[in-house]
Amino acid sequence: MLRLRRGEAGDTGRGLGMTGAAGGGPERIAPSSVEELATILKAATEEQRVVNVVGGGTRQGYGSPPHAALVVEMNSLAGIEEWDPDDLTVTVGAGTPVAELESALAARAQTAVLPEVPGASTVGGVISAGVSSLRRARLLGTRERMLEVRLVTGDGRVVRGGGRVVKNVSGYDLPRLVVGAFGSLGVITSVCLKLWPKPPASATVAIDDIEAAKRVKRPLAVLERNGVVEVFLWGTPEEVVASSGRLGGEVAEGHRWPADPEGSFRWSVRVPPALTTPAIDRLPGGWDYLAVHGAGDIRAASGNADGAEELRMWVEASGGALVAMEAPVGGLNGLDPWGSPPPGLEIQRRLIAQFDPGRVLNPGRLPGGL
Amino acid sequence: MLEEPVELYLYSRDASLMHGQATCVVFPQTTEDVAEVVRVAEKHGVPIVARGAGTGLAAGAIPVDGGIVLSTTAMNHIEIDVENRTAWVGAGVINLDLSNEAEPFGLSFAPDPSSQSACTIGGNVANNSGGAHCLAEGATTSHVLGLEVVLAGGETLVLGGQAPDMPGLDLKGLLVGSEGTLGVVTRALVRLLPIEADVRTLLLDFEELEGATRTVSDVIASGLVPAALEIMDQKMTTAVENWLRAGLPCDCAAILLAEVVGEPEAVEAEAALISRIGLANGARDVQVARDEAERAILWKGRKSAFGAVAQVSPNYYLHDTVVPRSRLVETMGEIQAIADRYELDVYNVFHAGDGNLHPLMAFDASDPVMMDKVHRAGEEMVVACLSRGGALSGEHGIGLEKRDMMRADFTELDLDAQARLKEAFDPAGVFNPAKVLPEGSRCFDFGGVKREIPDGAWV
Repeated sequence: MLRLRRGEAGDTGRGLGMTGAAGGGPERIAPSSVEELATILKAATEEQRVVNVVGGGTRQGYGSPPHAALVVEMNSLAGIEEWDPDDLTVTVGAGTPVAELESALAARAQTAVLPEVPGASTVGGVISAGVSSLRRARLLGTRERMLEVRLVTGDGRVVRGGGRVVKNVSGYDLPRLVVGAFGSLGVITSVCLKLWPKPPASATVAIDDIEAAKRVKRPLAVLERNGVVEVFLWGTPEEVVASSGRLGGEVAEGHRWPADPEGSFRWSVRVPPALTTPAIDRLPGGWDYLAVHGAGDIRAASGNADGAEELRMWVEASGGALVAMEAPVGGLNGLDPWGSPPPGLEIQRRLIAQFDPGRVLNPGRLPGGL
Repeated sequence: MLEEPVELYLYSRDASLMHGQATCVVFPQTTEDVAEVVRVAEKHGVPIVARGAGTGLAAGAIPVDGGIVLSTTAMNHIEIDVENRTAWVGAGVINLDLSNEAEPFGLSFAPDPSSQSACTIGGNVANNSGGAHCLAEGATTSHVLGLEVVLAGGETLVLGGQAPDMPGLDLKGLLVGSEGTLGVVTRALVRLLPIEADVRTLLLDFEELEGATRTVSDVIASGLVPAALEIMDQKMTTAVENWLRAGLPCDCAAILLAEVVGEPEAVEAEAALISRIGLANGARDVQVARDEAERAILWKGRKSAFGAVAQVSPNYYLHDTVVPRSRLVETMGEIQAIADRYELDVYNVFHAGDGNLHPLMAFDASDPVMMDKVHRAGEEMVVACLSRGGALSGEHGIGLEKRDMMRADFTELDLDAQARLKEAFDPAGVFNPAKVLPEGSRCFDFGGVKREIPDGAWV
């Protein structure tokens, strides 16, 4: 059964102004099955209607959001489909809120290693936007969670890639390819994720000097928030006690994960890991930041875009990227949200054309106007 | 460039039981050389099969019906960035050479296939190779941050980089594991890991296989992800012990090799925990390697297991499949039943933490009846894994060996999507044709050149 309702103009664009179809806003549809979604997308391709996809709606400003005629809401394709804790895998609907999944997994001392402070984010949304956990320096990013993906292509084909086992090299790695693809290859309907068991002990140690963090070889995370450094540890009680002692700071039991900084402008600074501290030193005055040391991942927020262009020049010259994840209308003053186009635009275009021949899924949202 | 028949014959094979026919073999020195080879091959409509050391077991590196074999061995430069813990590595660099080169800096490359003293980084990238230590650290794809690749038309791209999440589609991630069918990887930017402060390697022996697999599950349920959890059955242990004389217990149903790494306090506590769990699950004995020499010999036994079978039979056929870990025991029973039905000897050594099975059938290939039996039994074993929610291959790849079995795992639309992906990269079908995807994967694909497997390719 299709549920249709009219949205209000701009309500999915989060400030980037979305002009909808006749009648004020884009049409909104919440498919309750994969088949329904396939029918919707097939029709959208035939009618050449631009589609935006919404999970929790937390990253709708990311990239260059399209002027969509149709908004597909994924909330109904949700829930845990298959989970045997022994297998360290979970298969879950794309519309499942990350918080809901992680809390279910935590009951059996497991985690999908998705973002720790997800708000309303869904599993499919986090994957499509390519957002990663704060534990990524130790446990790697969201792409490393991906074992299987089911998606519906722009022209309504239902396709699966990968499999529900922790190790698989059967065919091309479609599951990892959809991470950060903003739905350009298809709307993700479900995924199988690799899980990680949570060890019995955990602690957070506040340290004064980032150099002190090096006394532990492979901590779970070293985070720096506006100058305050905390080391996150987990393991057997023996290990956590020993590592805490080695770090020599103030120890708190458990983990209280910080949220990404909030502001009308939100940025993602990506640099080679060794340049994390130099990059922090170059952030324009007044920017709040949360840096994941060892991963070169700095999340920042500001009230304006002053200094962003200069920062981007340095970051790109260093082999990284400065991405505007959210900005008020016109606030970027012509600055491209992604920065310089990545290599291989032509092959990316050809790839997308194979999965979304009518180019109706989030056109123009990716770097280089793809 | 090689053109002598004997040399061409050597380069027409890999470590599988199949062979093809190379037209010529080239040894490019630079990325520009590779681009030139690609342009020439396209101009003349000749396929290119990139090849590292040829240790692949799925016939991914054999030229099926003629073609240029592009050996990457001359591209063997290593450039380590200690600060960022990365290295740019030529495709022809041998896996173990990279770790040896990184060792003085306290770093190592995590993927460690059993063939690591011969196999190349290019081959590891092509196959997304695993190894005994990918339970905790992931397979090759988790360690590739960037790639330099030559695509159709000789276009050279540098993808990814040291910074995370480079914007745009993750093309380098797609190239990893694509078995040379999308382009030729010339260099890889890989992640290196700090060498851990301490390590403990344990050997547990069990009277029942189930005790060993239950131990693996319980260890992980306790919140621990050991660096490695490997099981060998009695037959395999006996074969290894006959050759290695390491004092392995041959009178038990299975041995479990477990390894933990980390801070000294961590490995001490974790080794104690694994021992306790093992004993609770019926382990007769727990041995802990006392020094590096003892540890090395345990690993030598594990990594040389396949070679040890040579004393039993002149040939072996090694399979590679995966099942959800919770279904290991019943799958092993089924594999034994299949082997019994075909009156074949099956040896088992596997990555238990990953549910990655490697049933090995020892036989004499000069007997054509045996050869046929081995193929049929092998196929049944793979199907048995698939029917339990498993996968066709965990780390060896699809190549030519399993491409026709892809239909057992994927729907027509799934394969069509994969074929479209290939088409986007390689519209002329120059790169390693006939591998990975079965003929006719592209739905409504009536055009194009048919590429049949030549007669005798299975021997």
